[in-house]
Amino acid sequence: MDVALEKQLREDETLMEKNILVTNIDKLLNWARGHSFWPVTLGLACCAIEMMATGGPRYDISRFGYEVFRASPRQADVMIVAGTCTRKMAPLLRRIYDQMPEPKWVIAMGSCANAGGPFVDSYSMLAGVDKVVPVDVYIPGCPPRPESLLYGLLQLQYKVSNPAKVRLMKHGK
Amino acid sequence: MENKVLREQVEKLATQVNGEVEEILGELILKVKASYINETLKGAKSLANTPCDFLHDLCGLDAVDHLEVIYQLSSLRGPQRLRVKAIVDRENPVIDSVTGIWQGANFLEREAYDMFGISFKGHPNLKRIYMWDDFEGYPLRKDYVTEPIEVRNIVRTRIEGE
Amino acid sequence: MTIANTEELLLNMGPQHPSMHGLFRMVVNLEGETVTKIEPKIGYLHRGMEKLAESRTYAQFIPYTDRLDYLASPHNNWAYVQAVEKLMGVEIPERAEYLRVIFGELARIASHQVCIASTALDMAGWSAWSYAFRDRERICDMYEMTAGSRLTVNNMRIGGMSNEPPPEFWPALKSFLDDTPEMLDEYNGIFFGNEIAQGRLKSVGILSKELAENLSITGPVLRASGVNYDVRKAEPYSIYDRFDFNVPVRYGCDSYDRTIIRMDEIVESIKIIKQAVRDIPEGPIMAKVPKVIKPPVGEVYHRVENPKGELGFYIVSDGTTKPARLRIRPATFINLQMLPIVSLGWKIQDVVAIFATLDAVLGEVDK
Repeated sequence: MDVALEKQLREDETLMEKNILVTNIDKLLNWARGHSFWPVTLGLACCAIEMMATGGPRYDISRFGYEVFRASPRQADVMIVAGTCTRKMAPLLRRIYDQMPEPKWVIAMGSCANAGGPFVDSYSMLAGVDKVVPVDVYIPGCPPRPESLLYGLLQLQYKVSNPAKVRLMKHGK
Repeated sequence: MENKVLREQVEKLATQVNGEVEEILGELILKVKASYINETLKGAKSLANTPCDFLHDLCGLDAVDHLEVIYQLSSLRGPQRLRVKAIVDRENPVIDSVTGIWQGANFLEREAYDMFGISFKGHPNLKRIYMWDDFEGYPLRKDYVTEPIEVRNIVRTRIEGE
Repeated sequence: MTIANTEELLLNMGPQHPSMHGLFRMVVNLEGETVTKIEPKIGYLHRGMEKLAESRTYAQFIPYTDRLDYLASPHNNWAYVQAVEKLMGVEIPERAEYLRVIFGELARIASHQVCIASTALDMAGWSAWSYAFRDRERICDMYEMTAGSRLTVNNMRIGGMSNEPPPEFWPALKSFLDDTPEMLDEYNGIFFGNEIAQGRLKSVGILSKELAENLSITGPVLRASGVNYDVRKAEPYSIYDRFDFNVPVRYGCDSYDRTIIRMDEIVESIKIIKQAVRDIPEGPIMAKVPKVIKPPVGEVYHRVENPKGELGFYIVSDGTTKPARLRIRPATFINLQMLPIVSLGWKIQDVVAIFATLDAVLGEVDK
């Protein structure tokens, strides 16, 4: 279960599309997927409160189509890991990720999920959630403002709708 | 302060349990050996005019040559405050549990066991509470060395029934 | 003809679940739908703050205390900073004390709003959740104006406050205080007056007075069982002995009282803020404190009244720049011990209601 290898395999899959014509059906599917993410509620710590505030009336997340927070991972497609992931919680996080159906994406929100945060030298901490699951978008902040979370979701929407352009930006090929 | 009445009674209690009394920053501290702890706390709870019958906190401490268990007591109906320190041997850290006197010591003693390795005799359910069940070592002791980041990044497999 | 027999069901309400309380896991033994045994399992958010404190200096630890009870972060800062000031014998200026009281009481209102919102959400009352979060945004705006952060306000320092509120702060505070009667009427109308909420909360989960004292419970949970104990009156810290306020006490011992006592506390907090705004003097906000903070050898235990209970800090200093032992007395960890005892014999949906009224924040339970 080498996570770096898993991420490489996922990127290679999108690379294969270079030789195949992207038809209108694929474009329509990518557009639909990107404009209606269903996040799974995985609020772990303080960043979860900012995620709840994003769903609240002021920073309305439902104007983008993402307000359906499902509790069960089998009905969701995006996992927003908001908060600190400890070593005790890590196998459970992986189990929830495995229960989500394809296609699925992961957003790491907050500095604890990105790289361990201020607690990185503690005896019970994992240095970032990308040791457990392959992450697509990283959102820095402690905690990030609700506008940052919305920007991160829009970046993921861009990545999903235009896989070729994102690959071009990343690898220059 | 009005500590005079409390101080006299605590000194009388100290002579019964071979303890020492001192005062730091306006707060009375009573130091006893671990074997007298039950008698001390029952005595503190039933002091005549100033009973210290509410347990605020129970924690462990690692002084380099011995371990200590610290009880913060006060009362809901008066201004009295008392801190009781029990000195526990480092090689064989065993002390009586106080869950018979206060039920609220349950989770607190489990935490002291988890972090320092102090066993409480007579506790109904002495298991680890914060760390996972097969964690090795007692983190808050001064001689505990945190594992390097490469070892901590290995995701453990979860045992069934944890 | 066989007679149907029942067997006990072991249900795991896992660390990830639809209610918003965090990573809390319970293993419930059920007989039909009635609970026979509950075992709470915590530690999924244990970050090791007490060990981290031994390798940080006193001033570097202040942002870590924010992340303990992240819904009311000024109180955590306040408890820690006052404990160190007591150890060092530092007196802080008057204006800083009044500002601390204003920020602390605003945090109390915000935390109780989130508690009411989560309790309503656990009973599928989405409207009350959005109203409470909309009103909480005004408090977050005021924090952001002063300190730059909405949630983890890191405003207090050893010796005073770090930032002076800008000129826009005072009119915003005044307009917030003027709108509060209407806000409380809305909550009463949408949630507390609703007969479904009353039916789910009244007479559910009785916590008697003797059991509460034996379990070392503090905070609104204790006051809803008839014990009149509040750290602000029993052992006044900061300048609380100058304010004129009551301590709300209710005698019903059930979940409805544990929830509605928080509305009473919001009313009292508004009284305190109005008095503080009226009396605040001009002056500096930071005392003369040495650059390197080295308290003398000694120990101190200081406690404040968190919105959830009593938060205490026990600091042992050995004369160096880093503490020898820093112990955090978590309010909700100790209050959680009532859950296995009080829920016996109730149905599984009542367990959700009882847990919501405890107002557990897992950052504080797990440190």
